[in-house]
Amino acid sequence: MKSKNYSKKILKVFKKRGFVFSEPDVLLDSNYIIQRSGENFKKLMLTFEDDSGKNMCLRPDLTVASCVKYLEKNSKGISKIYYSGQAYRRSNNSKDSIVNDQLGLEIIGSKKKYSDDKEIINTILKSINKIKIKDIAVNIGDVNLFKQLIELLKIPERWKLRLIRHFWRPNYFEDLLNRLETNSDIDPIAVDFDKKRFFEMKKLNQNHEIASRKISEILFRFDKKIRDPRSFSEGKKTAKIIREFLKITCPIDQMDKCLKIFFKKYNIEKNLIKNALPIKSLSKSNYKIIFSTNFGRDLEYYTGMVFEVSTLKNKKEIARGGRYDDLLKSLGSKRNVSAVGAAINLNNLSKGI
Amino acid sequence: MKDLTTIGLPSKGRLKESVLNLLKKNNLKLTSKGGDRDYFANLDNLPNTQVIYLHAREIIERLGDGTLDIGISGLDLLNESAISLQKRIEITKKLDFGKANLVVAVPNDWIDVQTIADLEEISFYFRDKKNLRLRVATKYPNLTNNFLTTKGITQYKIVSSLGATETYPFTGSSEIITDITSTGSTLEANNLRVLKDGTILKSQACVLISKKNKKKAARSGLSKLFF
Repeated sequence: MKSKNYSKKILKVFKKRGFVFSEPDVLLDSNYIIQRSGENFKKLMLTFEDDSGKNMCLRPDLTVASCVKYLEKNSKGISKIYYSGQAYRRSNNSKDSIVNDQLGLEIIGSKKKYSDDKEIINTILKSINKIKIKDIAVNIGDVNLFKQLIELLKIPERWKLRLIRHFWRPNYFEDLLNRLETNSDIDPIAVDFDKKRFFEMKKLNQNHEIASRKISEILFRFDKKIRDPRSFSEGKKTAKIIREFLKITCPIDQMDKCLKIFFKKYNIEKNLIKNALPIKSLSKSNYKIIFSTNFGRDLEYYTGMVFEVSTLKNKKEIARGGRYDDLLKSLGSKRNVSAVGAAINLNNLSKGI
Repeated sequence: MKDLTTIGLPSKGRLKESVLNLLKKNNLKLTSKGGDRDYFANLDNLPNTQVIYLHAREIIERLGDGTLDIGISGLDLLNESAISLQKRIEITKKLDFGKANLVVAVPNDWIDVQTIADLEEISFYFRDKKNLRLRVATKYPNLTNNFLTTKGITQYKIVSSLGATETYPFTGSSEIITDITSTGSTLEANNLRVLKDGTILKSQACVLISKKNKKKAARSGLSKLFF
């Protein structure tokens, strides 16, 4: 009953702020999800095979389901939607519920990134305020800041891409940093041996494929790899900078100051800060908002601002959201479609108070 | 029947030979009424035991449901089985045979791929440039999934294989494979190479018991050999 009342009040706020109801499909093609989340995510999904042999699943996430709907409708304009429904997924934690009631909102296809980010955060905070929940903490980060920092560092391109790709897997990311500051990528004995094969393969038909890779592709990458060695001292320095960066945590009104100190210490361009504008605007909020460079690393599709609202009392997450500009492309869109959204977890909301 | 201890032994291959040798060395003689094709046997000196010859995978399943009390099978097969099944089985002894590694292997001519980190780059290249997922043929989907994911490889697709997995990269069925190998010669003969850091599991034959029938297994008179 409590959650029904909450739901009513929250949806009223969504509507008032110009969001339009949209019901995403309950059943999705499993490939949509696996393509984006990887093979290992399969075990968390509730799947079955339909009559045509196609693998289907119950939507594990309403954001993905909303994006799939946007693409299926072939929408080209701005879609400012809200939904109320259930997401179905198993969890690694047996105590977690398989069915999650969510109320969410998304702005898809708009180019006004800063104002959209603000709109999403403010709508969520306003909704929570409307149901008279005051004791909340807001954690916020911007994963794009990390990406931009990496671009400025002096390491081989393939290492930049590798670190950006694995920002989402903190344990593996730490392994990468350890590797970056210690061992080499290239085994000199193996390289010498393979160099002979390299010259032999150069004489072959370059379009011939070996296990779906053209000989030209293999040789190009081999050549690039041995020409782009990584220096030990730079690797060590880079790993230190990254570790230090990921330690930055402060109240939102001190974000500017903390980032400036960090950039000055390591002599890095300060221009990065201007990209965190929507976050900065929250410094006038009445809530306790903590900025952290390490925040938002558990969901791969975020590309920019990311935030989470939790109860102060029992630390239950009641809302979460962020910018996910690459998601629609990974789901098959031919053009770049920017998007930002957030969802309130009704189950946790009822438990958390 | 209540006191009869059932023992599952591998029904074929090198594993069967090694198990029979082990029993022989310990003066345990197996007798089958129906000759070589009989799936049942008895241990002459231990009347309260019954031996059943089963596929090594089947031994794990039957230990899990408690129809076998003791079994000998590979660690690879136990670790590949469902977690719920593994929880019902206990390893009591690791044996000095059946040693083999589960490894990640790529075509020899992928000379740019030496490590798992290289493979990770290739898997993203497949997704971003070819809009495909790297296909990994294997008889061990669970162990492969766990290994690849912890190594940062997320963009791949498992292709289930029932045998001759080494052929898959050259028949268009997959790009790479994971397979069990003891000497590496089959992989080498099929133009495949194990990645430098591509060992998923070091396996060997193990004595396993069903946790449900632990007491019965302990009473069987095989304690010296099996525990």
